[in-house]
Amino acid sequence: MSKIPENLFYTNEHEWVQVEGDIATIGITDFAQSSLGDIVFVELPDVDSDFEKDASFGVVESIKSVSDLYIPVNGVVTEKNDAVEETPESINEDAYSAWLIKVKLSDASQVESLMNAEKYKEFCESN
Amino acid sequence: MSKTSLFDKHVELNAKIVDFAGWQMPIQYKNLKNEVTAVRENVGVFDVSHMGEFFIKGEQAIQYVDYMVTNDIASAQMGKAIYSPLCREDGTVIDDLIVYKLKNDFVMICVNAANIEKDFQWFEKHVNKFNVTLTNESDKYSLLAIQGPKTFETLKSVSSTQDINDIDYYSIQMSNEEQTPIIYARTGYTGEDGFEVFGPHDYISKLWDQLIEANVEPCGLGARDVLRLEVCYPLYGNELNDELTPLDAALKWTVKTDKNEFIGKETLSNHKAQYRLIKLIADKGIPREGYKVFDEAQNEIGIVTSGTMSVTLGKGIALARVKKELFNENSSLFIEIRNKKYSAQFTKKAFVSGGHK
Repeated sequence: MSKIPENLFYTNEHEWVQVEGDIATIGITDFAQSSLGDIVFVELPDVDSDFEKDASFGVVESIKSVSDLYIPVNGVVTEKNDAVEETPESINEDAYSAWLIKVKLSDASQVESLMNAEKYKEFCESN
Repeated sequence: MSKTSLFDKHVELNAKIVDFAGWQMPIQYKNLKNEVTAVRENVGVFDVSHMGEFFIKGEQAIQYVDYMVTNDIASAQMGKAIYSPLCREDGTVIDDLIVYKLKNDFVMICVNAANIEKDFQWFEKHVNKFNVTLTNESDKYSLLAIQGPKTFETLKSVSSTQDINDIDYYSIQMSNEEQTPIIYARTGYTGEDGFEVFGPHDYISKLWDQLIEANVEPCGLGARDVLRLEVCYPLYGNELNDELTPLDAALKWTVKTDKNEFIGKETLSNHKAQYRLIKLIADKGIPREGYKVFDEAQNEIGIVTSGTMSVTLGKGIALARVKKELFNENSSLFIEIRNKKYSAQFTKKAFVSGGHK
């Protein structure tokens, strides 16, 4: 069974979002890394990139597949995790410490439409 | 959707199942990397029962097959397996297959799962000119590929295959000939030493259990694709298709225009290849099927036909089909990945040199 921490928000694209003030940290979930298998390549956007909700902000690749990453909120990238680009396998080791990007939220209310841990667990079980 | 006779065993082993050419096949078990490494260093087993088997019997069996395919079957030694394209009169490739020269009057052909119907119709269309019987035995056969440097000792150690001989690469051993023949061939699609074992479902099912019991790594189609791409073996649908000739896909060595009459001989004797299949190692990123290839003058010169992360090299690798007239070996080359161009190195040698004898 995959890990689903209580204190995070989740998307139906299997990403997690942690909100602190007006900064959202985004990564992919344990469920996502486990279905992808060995992650061998990660491409993240440059700092200051401006995204609209649901836009593709990067990719994660396993040996056999390419998956787009979709941003669940509007915002400007304030940081990207260079270490994850260097060692993509760290996502397989711990998907919740291997965050991908931090964005400055331009519409904090968008967070409310995300799933909490309980709802995400149901979502994973029903898929 | 069809299932192989081993389907339930794959599910028990928690394989990820995908639809492939109308079959529900294991794409990977626990870990794709481990499966690739097991085959390169140790031994792994693949269920490839979805592939098709045609039998040709009769005094003209060899003559007929030699007429149907482009490689030289007639001159090959008895007891050998021969890789060959199957072409139309215009030289385009219907499929690539392996011909097993079992006896003077008995030949088996193993074809790709996706092409069984298409191939069989083609073989049937031309069978009347020869004194042979052609049958599609695909439903009666299961097929395991046991691959890796420890294959032979492993097969010797399990009861179902203890009588196997240390035959040469691309050679064949047959048993149970009077009933449903069991065929051991020292062939494979990984570049490593290994055997492919064709047999009735109950025999193969027992053999699978014995191999799993002997700690042979079960490997899925994902690992199989990485392994074949590392050693640059073509895959029908990627490097080969209905519109290309073998000469456009680095398979000139399989077209023997100096042998007797065969289908496509005239066209292929005069055909100038339009394309060249090249090998590229990406400096960064992972090439994937369909990505565009550019030269240093930013001309688009071709496309990636297969690409993956090489488990053995830890780098992105690709086979690419480039227009011959546009390709220059000395040009710097680039692969476009998500609208950015990344440099890639042209190489003449296979990415990995498999250990087969």
